[in-house]
Amino acid sequence: MSSFIDARNVPAGTILQPDLAIVGGGPAGISLALALANTPIRMVLLESGGMTPDAKTQALYSGTKTGAPYLTLEASRLRYLGGSSNHWGGWSRPLDEIDFEQRSWLPHSGWPFPRKEIERYFPHAQSLCEVGPYIYDKADKWAETLGPLLPLGSGGVVTRWFQFSKMRGSDLPTHFGDRYADDLKRVARLSVYLHANVTRLGLDGSGGKIDQLDVATLTGRKFKVKPKLTVLAMGAIENARLMLASNDVVPAGVGNTFDMVGRFFADHPIPRDTATLVLFGGALAPYYTDIQNIHGAVMRAGLFPREEFRRSHAVMGSSVTIENKTQLDDLGKAAVATTAAALGVDANDAVAYSLGCGLEVTPDPDRRLTLGTDKDALGMPRINLRMRIADSDFARFRQTLKELARQLLVSRAGMLRLNLNSRAEWLEGLEWGNHHMGTTRMHVDPRNGVVDANSQVHGVPNLFVAGSSVFPTYGASNPTMNLIALTLRLADHLRGVLR
Amino acid sequence: MKANISRRNILIAGGGAAVLAAAGLEVRHLLHRHAPSPYDALLAKLDDRDAAAQIGEGVLAEIDDFEPKAVAKDLRASFDRRNLTQASAEDAAEDRLVEANGWVLPKTLALLCGLAAKAQ
Repeated sequence: MSSFIDARNVPAGTILQPDLAIVGGGPAGISLALALANTPIRMVLLESGGMTPDAKTQALYSGTKTGAPYLTLEASRLRYLGGSSNHWGGWSRPLDEIDFEQRSWLPHSGWPFPRKEIERYFPHAQSLCEVGPYIYDKADKWAETLGPLLPLGSGGVVTRWFQFSKMRGSDLPTHFGDRYADDLKRVARLSVYLHANVTRLGLDGSGGKIDQLDVATLTGRKFKVKPKLTVLAMGAIENARLMLASNDVVPAGVGNTFDMVGRFFADHPIPRDTATLVLFGGALAPYYTDIQNIHGAVMRAGLFPREEFRRSHAVMGSSVTIENKTQLDDLGKAAVATTAAALGVDANDAVAYSLGCGLEVTPDPDRRLTLGTDKDALGMPRINLRMRIADSDFARFRQTLKELARQLLVSRAGMLRLNLNSRAEWLEGLEWGNHHMGTTRMHVDPRNGVVDANSQVHGVPNLFVAGSSVFPTYGASNPTMNLIALTLRLADHLRGVLR
Repeated sequence: MKANISRRNILIAGGGAAVLAAAGLEVRHLLHRHAPSPYDALLAKLDDRDAAAQIGEGVLAEIDDFEPKAVAKDLRASFDRRNLTQASAEDAAEDRLVEANGWVLPKTLALLCGLAAKAQ
């Protein structure tokens, strides 16, 4: 078993020459290294942080933001081994088929391949995420022992399932650094460098190939890596930042011939109390509001728009969660009593719940990252995020809520109040999923994307990107397991490239 | 959460309820306090006219061209062939919904509530 290498002790002027350099030790980078463990590929993994958080390293994330309200850039991610999995909530769900489709009503939609291309990687990704058996929407049949599903009939909204990561020996989700440190140390041809920041992707003179990576530590140590292939796995903000900042050979930066790097930044907005759900009979199965053990998995139900409804009503994948019980005002009580009476049902035991949401946003090229003028402690330009949220994203989710309301009335099970109307109401108290996506999006055409269907940067054959920065559209599923499935697919591709 | 039936209606109905019930009469419809309106027969389909009127204010805010006479005419025709429960179920099934102060209601019920507000 090898130990990790502290880059601060690497002799200055060292030049490493691996087959593959993995830049970033989060879920994508670690999964890639483990996937290639039993191959002859000689790898280095370069992680900016150490094994625990460090304020000076974390401060390298600091940047500026304009536009719609958003989190501070250093707060929404973590810069040490394991990356942002160190504050992961563990929510998991594979993307749906429709998430990969080109939809005429959704500009910039369409992955280069259908979902079936990555389906075979989901079980392995599920295993790395420690999410238990791959059940998801098969859970209905086992869940009903805990209580019935909401009677939503054949309408546009249906109960679907999240599964949750539980790290072995812990109640917390899998923190990839802690969990897989020993596994990484057992990989014979892998060297993991901690405190190693890549500050430049060095293109060769032609601008068509990565020749070397410049590495620096916060203590001033510098060395180089000259790999055959490089995979960027630093998250959607840092991947774009490093590509844009590496502008000494090509002024626009690496892979940015068509000004696409950093565009299409996305996250999942989480508006609170989007609607009030009233169930006339009051009863609600516990898996709608709290995680439950179901058939060996840790699960919670959500309410999702069916694929058919998404197509026919041009709505995004935005999903509904049922949160805490809430109280109705007098008008609400009047609405419930009057409606229940009209439907011929008893509402004396009615219970109201607040509904949450995981919102999918429309791809937007102007929601983007650019380089700022300030520099960090390593001399790297800080990033500026221009955040935007379209009113149409709120309006589309409202359609889904209204369909849910209709289905509840049809089944005479309950009713709904839509609580948010104006943009100000939607934005008030808006939270975020910390799911950074889209900034090196995948597209077969370099004018519309940064990487191709194999996650290779257009025009730079020895540079690849792993992680949710390659997502062209985002779905409403949490990205971690999906990005790992994509990374495992990339690992298969790299095996072929390096053969 | 208990249904909010108008306190005044309960008080009025309470005293003579037993007698009138024995006579097979609908207590609240006979003892209501509302001034007569052309829509009373329609509004009698509602369990609680005051509660409906509360909701109806939101309906009127939502439907700019709410014309009570025309609405009443349409509702009467509608109720020739179905009752309020059937109409509400059909409205939901066929996506005829009205949002009033955020509450998503079957259209027929919403229109009745709008009439109740107009009749206040």
